[in-house]
Amino acid sequence: MTGSETMTHHDEHGHGHLKLAYQPSLPIPNGKLCLWLFLSTEIMFFAGLIGAYIVLRFGAPSGTWPKPHDVHLVEQIGAFNTFVLICSSVTIVLGLEAAKLNRSGTARLWLLATFLLGCLFLGVKAVEYKSKFSHGIYPQAPRSQIWDRADLNYASAVRLRLAEYIAAETAKGQSGAATTEPAAADAKVEGAPPTGDAAAAPPAAAKPPASPEQAYAETLRDHLVYWAESTAARSDDMARRQGALNTLAYFIYPLHGRKPAQFIERETTLQQQELAKLNDEAQKLEKDQQRLEREQAELKSKRTKAETDNQADALKELDDQLLAGVKSSLGVAEQLASVNERRGRMAGWLKLVPELEQLKNGINEEHHHLRLPIHIPSGNMWASTYFLMTGFHAIHVAVGLLAFALILPKKLDARNAHLLENTGLYWHFVDLVWIFLFPLLYLF
Amino acid sequence: MTTDHSQKPGHGHGQADHGHGGTGLYIKVFLALCVLTSMSFFTVSDFWPFHDTPAVGWVFMMAVSCTKALLVMTFFMHLLWEANWKYVLTIPASMMSVFLVIALVPDVGQRIRSYSEERLIYAADESAEVHGEAHEQHDATDDEAKKHDEHKHDESKKSKAHGETEGS
Repeated sequence: MTGSETMTHHDEHGHGHLKLAYQPSLPIPNGKLCLWLFLSTEIMFFAGLIGAYIVLRFGAPSGTWPKPHDVHLVEQIGAFNTFVLICSSVTIVLGLEAAKLNRSGTARLWLLATFLLGCLFLGVKAVEYKSKFSHGIYPQAPRSQIWDRADLNYASAVRLRLAEYIAAETAKGQSGAATTEPAAADAKVEGAPPTGDAAAAPPAAAKPPASPEQAYAETLRDHLVYWAESTAARSDDMARRQGALNTLAYFIYPLHGRKPAQFIERETTLQQQELAKLNDEAQKLEKDQQRLEREQAELKSKRTKAETDNQADALKELDDQLLAGVKSSLGVAEQLASVNERRGRMAGWLKLVPELEQLKNGINEEHHHLRLPIHIPSGNMWASTYFLMTGFHAIHVAVGLLAFALILPKKLDARNAHLLENTGLYWHFVDLVWIFLFPLLYLF
Repeated sequence: MTTDHSQKPGHGHGQADHGHGGTGLYIKVFLALCVLTSMSFFTVSDFWPFHDTPAVGWVFMMAVSCTKALLVMTFFMHLLWEANWKYVLTIPASMMSVFLVIALVPDVGQRIRSYSEERLIYAADESAEVHGEAHEQHDATDDEAKKHDEHKHDESKKSKAHGETEGS
């Protein structure tokens, strides 16, 4: 296709000699033609990716696509990378100019500058990727911590993750105690003869001194997640159900402009009222308990009297009464325990929530190792498209850098200018793709 | 053999149009690109007057991007000084990519206009205003939202049952 072969001089005397002359169908070298053909397929490749992104971006449920700040995208960094790529486009084109003028030294310097700028771009990209990863934003499960909906599944995922964390911490504490325990036991052996009791005694690690982080995780589990899950499962009020889940999600990973402030306020007054009610109930129950104790003491004294008087009938009756009294006091004690548990949960919630409201960046940011599931509506789709498009672009940048590295040792004079021209064309195309990706990803 | 030959016109070409380009021109294009980048950056600043209608910003940014792309192609990729073959190679590819994006548009329309039951179940939450907070502010005539709400009710019934079985 590129070089058509034409018979120019046909020997009519039958010597069978065909003299062929080269006539290119397009007035450009083969290498450049191939590169342009490749670039035209690349246009379609990236148009497909960008088109799919636009479909998914604008087809997402209205108002759900994450804002750049919700997924830790910083416009300034994106703009800086745009600037870096534009600069590198200029340097490579200046390198080509220098090569055409046979100034191979200057051309090499420009090429080196382009190479370094490309590396800078990839470095910035790596920093950006790392910041996503550190926030639990990955393109795929199981590493991705993103949940599209704040529903009961989400709340139970938070509970499971907390349980996992607490179990791991406990195991760590126990293994730490196990390593220190034998030493302590040895010291005891040396100091005094071991008694049977000391040997049989459970190790101190059975009740590990909870690390502050473990204690915090337990607080979250008992006072926030329990509340969110039970409210979401049992409340009759639909708005309250979703509000509890939204509040949980917001405290873990606050999304811009999504603070359920009114709900928290309402819920706080509700909890305070209920706590006051429970306090009254507990007082009543305690009074009941005291009354029952008094009655039992009375019955007991009556019983001893009956015993000394040897009144068999009265004794039997008193025993029955005593048994009934013990039963009812047990019932009261049970009720009191359950009321006290609920009081504890509510008091804990009322203490925890103002603290959480103070957190500016959410639990996950302040307590990094907890790595709780985060709720970003359409976040998974966002992560897929973001990493796919920037990843393919970064691969193209890396390939360009490889090409630069390969031609860097060559003599870049006018005879080799086509090398710079072709790699330069490719590099400009990579820049061109970023020109579209930057506003689409960082500014839309 | 062909490659040897093919280099020749390239060289001739390279020498022949030596008059084009020039550092000054490239610097000018570079400055234009920087200015255009800051123009698209301007759309997210507080001074941008169309924050209420984001579509204006999107169209503006895409126009700016197309301008930048044209600048890069015309000057940095030397298309301004190339022969007519440039149209053969670039226009069909550009048309194909435009068709590709247009072919995806029915999907966009379809997805925005109606939700399938299945998609609704797994769809992301709408913004917080829809739940609880400012429920009355939400446009109740929007039948899509209504559908969503109805669905929410169904689902919360389900989750209630689920919670009760869990609780007992």
